[in-house]
Amino acid sequence: MKRATLITVATLAAGVAFAAEPIRIGVCGPLTGDQGKQGQDMLHGVELAAAEWNARGGVLRRPVEVISGDDQHDPRQARSVAVKMVNSGVAGVIGHFNSSCTIPASDVYTENDIVMITPASTNPQVTDRGYANVFRVCGRDDQQGRVAARYATDVLKVKMVAVLHDNTTYGKGLADEFKKGLGAGVTVAYYGGIVQGDLDYKAILANVKAKSPDLWFFGGIYPEAGRLAKQAREIGLSAVLMSGDGTIDPEFLKIAGPAAEGTICTFGPDPKRLPSAKAFLATYVKQYGEAGPYSIYAYDAVNILLEGINAAKTTSGTKVAEAIRNREHHGAFGSITFDEKGDVRVSPYVCWKAEKGVFVPCDAAVSAR
Amino acid sequence: MPDQFFQTLFFGLSQGASYALIALGYTMVYGVLGMINFAHGEIFMLGAYAGILALAGAATFGVVVASPFLAIGGAILAAVVVCAAYGATLERVAYRPLRRAHPLASLISAIGVSIFFQNYVQIAQGTDNKVFLHAVRSAFDGIAWPISFLSPIEGIILLAACLVMAALHFFVTRTRWGTALRAVSQDPVMASLAGIPVDRAIAGTFVLGSSLAAVAGVLVALGHDAHPYMGYLAGLKAFTAAVLGGIGSIPGAMLGGMLLGVVEVLGSTYLPIPEYKDALAFVILVGILLVRPAGLMGQKAVVKV
Repeated sequence: MKRATLITVATLAAGVAFAAEPIRIGVCGPLTGDQGKQGQDMLHGVELAAAEWNARGGVLRRPVEVISGDDQHDPRQARSVAVKMVNSGVAGVIGHFNSSCTIPASDVYTENDIVMITPASTNPQVTDRGYANVFRVCGRDDQQGRVAARYATDVLKVKMVAVLHDNTTYGKGLADEFKKGLGAGVTVAYYGGIVQGDLDYKAILANVKAKSPDLWFFGGIYPEAGRLAKQAREIGLSAVLMSGDGTIDPEFLKIAGPAAEGTICTFGPDPKRLPSAKAFLATYVKQYGEAGPYSIYAYDAVNILLEGINAAKTTSGTKVAEAIRNREHHGAFGSITFDEKGDVRVSPYVCWKAEKGVFVPCDAAVSAR
Repeated sequence: MPDQFFQTLFFGLSQGASYALIALGYTMVYGVLGMINFAHGEIFMLGAYAGILALAGAATFGVVVASPFLAIGGAILAAVVVCAAYGATLERVAYRPLRRAHPLASLISAIGVSIFFQNYVQIAQGTDNKVFLHAVRSAFDGIAWPISFLSPIEGIILLAACLVMAALHFFVTRTRWGTALRAVSQDPVMASLAGIPVDRAIAGTFVLGSSLAAVAGVLVALGHDAHPYMGYLAGLKAFTAAVLGGIGSIPGAMLGGMLLGVVEVLGSTYLPIPEYKDALAFVILVGILLVRPAGLMGQKAVVKV
């Protein structure tokens, strides 16, 4: 009788433990504001993965709980969101979105031994600082800039370009990598920054037009890219616009309207062509509508994190990071392995082109080497 | 080269015109109440949304807009009506109960309203950028236009802003209502003794200022796009313009807005580091305030005994 009571109490305690102690995962990025769409895409990808894990019984027999933090693409806000995440006891963080936010936030996560996997921050500095707990499932801007530059010189055969950036860690970094990758045969006739959030860029675009380049490159995110494209057409700057993975979003096409036509962006391969992504895309569309460009990266990132926790059998950051680094991951994007820095070993950047109101992958392939 | 200079100058003027329209709202409210209506930038944002939504709504219900000028006019009208209502409500709900309280109270109230409007629009309309019907804009693409340094849309923005400002000037200086407004701004107690309904005059100032912001909102949405946070930066710039011109002075706000727009645009064209254009604008502001503390056309503050 006594034994039976003990067992009952033990079972009850276990039941309570399951309900009361979830494994918390943070999702941080611009959830509101002009880049809010990207943050929401990330959040949806993570929520979808968490629901799937919970349906399978959770991680380490504990349910997964998603906590979101809105950094409003402001580096200062990102730091305080990171502190908030630490205080809510997260076992890992998926985020942030902008490199300028990811870098200061990663200091906080490192000090507190928390694993961080960013689905979108491509600046080299994110992983170049030797933090063992920092990973990314996207590529790096030095690779991306090289691919863009190669495409411009080898496929489009441009001779003169203008380079603009939005003065953020990501935008300026990417613009500089692109410039570096062009080589001696191409003249950079104009190089300059714009102010994020401004509405009118026609004066700068008129300067670009006066140099009559074959192509102009923009390092930045879609709200500014969309405005730039629209206003460029308005003042009669007809050169091709090239940009990076911050611009490739349906929102860019909406803001720029007909002026988006012909814009070229570097980004990862098309998930719609990957058999491994089929199941993810089908479920995502049912729940949230069309997947954003970063939904799938966030989905893979959180699966890698949860598998790491599962394999390490603990939520201790150092052990989880070790487990993530030593495993081969099979996500919606296919097989992913990490190098010692926390970068993915293979990151096949390709060029996409805006055609008839949608982004489609370009056929001509260039190598990042 | 002179063509590019003129082009740049007119970019600056059209940008300055929208700053001026918003700055007028700041300056008029300051004139009658002595307070800075920090929610004014959000009224501008609401105007942009109202204009875009009015046209999108008309298109959904199958109203075929025959001419782009008619469409722009309709959007402006819709935005003015909506923003005038918001302005009047704002004054009645957020400021009038605090009129005799400490001046800081209405300032905090203004900041609260501004945060409320940003989040309200974000929840109601989403975080994504909204754009003017592309059909209205592309109607100007093939148009025969004689001026090389000024695009048709730029021209419409500049012309509309100037017309509105001229109308305002006429209203304030030549009508009975305008005289009442000026009287209230000079001395509200004396004005009420002379039989001027002060509360209505103050509400009228908000309606007028909000209507001007609505026009600016539609014009900016026409040239660019709208998002829930657009009012913050535009409001800050317009407030700067109002201070530059001398806060409380109506011609000062017009001059300050135009000047700020032109300086910014010339800065981003001719500065070696174009992103420092805002710094240039503020350096000029500080310089002018050092020489003329009341702003370009502001009057020296007279201590009323």
